[in-house]
Amino acid sequence: MMNLQQIGQPKSSNGYGRWKSEKEGATKSDNKIPSGKSNASSRLPSTGFVTDNKVGSYGTPSHDRLVYLTTCLIGQHVEVQVKNGSIYSGIFHATNTDKDFGIILKMARLTKEGTLQGQRSGVEFVSKAPSKTLIIPANDLVQVIVKDLAVSRDGLPSESHYDMQHEIMVDSVISQSRHVEIGRELQRWVPDEDDPQCPELENIFDGPWNRGWDQFETNETLFGVKSTFNEEIYTTKLEKGPKTRELEKQALKIAREIEGEETEDLHLAEERGLYHNFDIDEETRFSSVYRGKGVDDIGYDENEDKLLDSHNSETFGSIYDLAITRPGEAIGQKGNNGTQTWSNLSSADYSQSGTGVELCRSGSNDHAKQIAYELPAQSCSFSESRIQENSVNDLHGAIDNTVEEDWIQTGDVQLSKSEDLQSSLKLKKDGSDEGGLAHNEASRAPSTHILSKTPEETGSVGEKKAVISRGRLGSCTSGSDCVAASSGRGLSPSSSVGSLSSEKSTLNPNAKEFKLNPNAKSFVPSQTHARPRSPVSDGSFYFPATVSTVPNVPTMPMGIGVGTTFAGPQQPVIYNPQVAQMSSQPYFHPNGPQYGQLLGHPRQVLYMPSYLPEMPYKGRDY
Amino acid sequence: MATEGANNINPDDLAVGCMLSIRTTLGDEFEGHVVTFDRPSNILVLQEPSKPGPRRNIRLLKANYIKDFTFLGHAQDPLDPNTCFLDLTALQAREHVAVRQAEADAERIGVGVTSEAQSIFDALSKTLPVRWDKTVIVVMNEVRVSSPYHPESVFGGTPAANDRVKKVVIIFLLLCYDASKCLYLWHVKYHIDCYSSMCTRVACA
Repeated sequence: MMNLQQIGQPKSSNGYGRWKSEKEGATKSDNKIPSGKSNASSRLPSTGFVTDNKVGSYGTPSHDRLVYLTTCLIGQHVEVQVKNGSIYSGIFHATNTDKDFGIILKMARLTKEGTLQGQRSGVEFVSKAPSKTLIIPANDLVQVIVKDLAVSRDGLPSESHYDMQHEIMVDSVISQSRHVEIGRELQRWVPDEDDPQCPELENIFDGPWNRGWDQFETNETLFGVKSTFNEEIYTTKLEKGPKTRELEKQALKIAREIEGEETEDLHLAEERGLYHNFDIDEETRFSSVYRGKGVDDIGYDENEDKLLDSHNSETFGSIYDLAITRPGEAIGQKGNNGTQTWSNLSSADYSQSGTGVELCRSGSNDHAKQIAYELPAQSCSFSESRIQENSVNDLHGAIDNTVEEDWIQTGDVQLSKSEDLQSSLKLKKDGSDEGGLAHNEASRAPSTHILSKTPEETGSVGEKKAVISRGRLGSCTSGSDCVAASSGRGLSPSSSVGSLSSEKSTLNPNAKEFKLNPNAKSFVPSQTHARPRSPVSDGSFYFPATVSTVPNVPTMPMGIGVGTTFAGPQQPVIYNPQVAQMSSQPYFHPNGPQYGQLLGHPRQVLYMPSYLPEMPYKGRDY
Repeated sequence: MATEGANNINPDDLAVGCMLSIRTTLGDEFEGHVVTFDRPSNILVLQEPSKPGPRRNIRLLKANYIKDFTFLGHAQDPLDPNTCFLDLTALQAREHVAVRQAEADAERIGVGVTSEAQSIFDALSKTLPVRWDKTVIVVMNEVRVSSPYHPESVFGGTPAANDRVKKVVIIFLLLCYDASKCLYLWHVKYHIDCYSSMCTRVACA
C-alpha cells in the first residue's frame, strides 16, 4: 500500500529548524513515505502568526487557521487515523501545510489495527518498538485527534502560554530558552495591600512581653484548647527575689554592651545597627558568608584568653589555693555578694540572685562579653568550676545555693553561664588536667569521700575539680571512682555547658539541654544522702527518692560518673555496665526524669542498658 | 439537514461556527464545532463541544471521509483570532520534552513480547532496575529472565539476586493467578524451601 521511496533529505528550507528533528528521522526505519512527496518544505507560520510569502498564496483565513492549529499541535500527543482504520499514536512533529497536509509523527506506534475499512480489531498484539519518525501521507490521512490542546492564549507572553500548558519545565529548557530575557531587570518587592494576616514586620522580633500577645490565650480563644504549658518545667524558675531588679539591670547592661559592640563581621554589624557603609551590594551585605580569617568574632579568643587568664587569677586565684586553703575567701571572692545571695536561694528556686552571683563572680561585665565569644572555642570543664564551687559550698554547707546558682545560669542568663564557663575554662587552664589529676590521685581517698557526699575535705577540692573535668571530658582514666563521683556532680552543669559549647566541646552535641527538675528536693547534706548536691541540680538525673546505699560504698562515690568503673556492692555494680559503656559520653542526658523514674528501684536499674543505652550513668539508686 | 456524501459538501455548510454531527466512512461518529475548513487540503477542523477552559479537543478530519453530517446549529467562532499567538520555541521545546519522555518510556517496552511478559517486566521494574535485552528481561544487569518468564527461566546473577528475582516472578504469577497459569503454580509448589509461604497460600487457595 505504501511505497517506500527515497525521501529527499528534508531540509529546513526556511531555516526555522522546524524540520530539524526530521533530519535525523527521515532515513530511519518504518517510514511511510508518501509517494512523490518530499515533505521537506513546510511552511509553518513564524511566531506571531505571520504567514510568509509562500503561504500567502493560500492566504485565505481558513487556511491560515488550519496552519495555526496544526502549529499548535507541535509536540502534542496525537492520534492519527489512516485509511485502513489503523490508529497511530505519537508526538506531532510536522505537516506540510503548503501541500496537502501529510503528517509526521515522532515516537509513533500503532495503537489500533484496522485491517479493513470499517473494521476494528482490538486484538492484543505483540508490542512493537515505536517508530522514531512516522510519516503519514496525506492520502492516507483520515483524521487527527488531539486532546487537551491549548488553542489560544489571552495575549500573555510566551512564558505564560507555556505555563498554561502545564508543561514540565525542564531545567535545560529554561536555561536555554531564548525567550527568557538575560539579566532581567529586578524590581524591588512591594508588598500588596496590607494583608491583615501578615504580622507587622517592624515589631516581629519584639519579645512576647512587648507585643502583648499571648499565644496560649489566642489558642484558647480560637480553638478552645487549654494549655498546660508551664514554663518552669522547661527552664529555671525565675525567682523574683529582692535582688531581681538589680540583677536584671546588670544583665541588660551586659547585653547592651555586647550588642553594641563594634564588630568586623558585616552581618553582625547589620544586626546591631552599626553598619554605615552602604557601598557594598546587597548580596554581600545580607546574604553571603564571608569565610576569611579573623572576621568572625571567634577571633577574639586569642586576645581574650590572656585577658581572662589574668582576670581569672585575680578573681579566683589558683584553683587549689582557693579551694583548699581559703574556702571562705573563695566564696567571698567569687561573688561579692555571693554569700548573701546564696543565702537567699532555696533549693528549688533558681533565682536570679544566683545569676547575679555569677555575674558578680566574674567580676567584670566585659568579661562576660568575651566569654560569650570564647565559649564556643573551648571545651568546657564547666563542671570543673561548678564542682569547685560546689565543693566549696559543700564545705560550707551551702550546697543548695551553689547548685542553684549553677542551674540558674543554665536557664536564663547565658552570660552568666558563659561567665562561669569562662572561669571554669580558665581554671581549667590554670590547673591542667594532669596536674589536677595528679593532685587528685594523691588524695584520691579523701576525694572519694567527698564525692560520696560525706563532708568534703578542703584538700580534695582541687582534686575533685580536676577529676570532674576529666570525667566531664569523658576521658576519665584515673581514679575512675573519683571521676564518677565528680562527674555525678558535674552532670547538671555539663548539660548546660554542653549546649553552650556543643561545637567544640567534647560533650555530646546531641544531648539535650539540661532540664531542671523543679520538684527535686533540696539537698541536705547528710551521711545517708547519696548525693552531695542539692537535688535540684540532680533532679533531672537522679531520682529524688530516698537515699540509697551510700554508706555501703564508703570508698565508692555514687557514681554519676560517666565512665566510672564501679566496683562496689549491689547498686553500684548494677550500674556498672552502663557506666562502662558510657565512658566517653557526657554525663548529661536529657532523659533525666525518665531515668529518675527508672531508678526508683535497684532492680530497675538493670533495665537501664536497654532502656537508655546511651545514657550516661546518672543512676543513683536512692 | 443531512447532506449526501463527501463530494457534495457545500462549503457553506462547513462555515466557521457551525455545530455539526458527523459520521465518517470509517464508522466514527462525533459532534463538533467547526473551527475552520480548508478547501485546498480538504481538511475540516472541528472542536469538540463544551470543554471548559483553554484546552480543547480538536479533530482534523479529511472531508472526503465524511459520510454524512447533520447541521446542528450555529454558534460563535470557537477561535478568537485576537488571542492566537504562537511561540515556536516553546512548541519545539515541548516537543523535545515529549520525545525524550517517549523515548524513556519506549525503553521500558519490550519489542515482540507478549503483554504478560510486559506485565512481568513492569512488576519487576517497580522495585528493581530492569531493562529489556531483546526479549529478555535483564534485572540489575546480572539476572536474566527469558521466555517463558517463569521462575525457572530466571538465570544468572548472584544467588541472592537470582532468588530475589525469582520471588518477584513467583509472586507476580501467584497474584495473577488464572486457570492458564495453574501449571506454573503447581510447579512453584515444589520450591517449598524458597517460597514456602507463598506456596502455602496457593495450596490453601
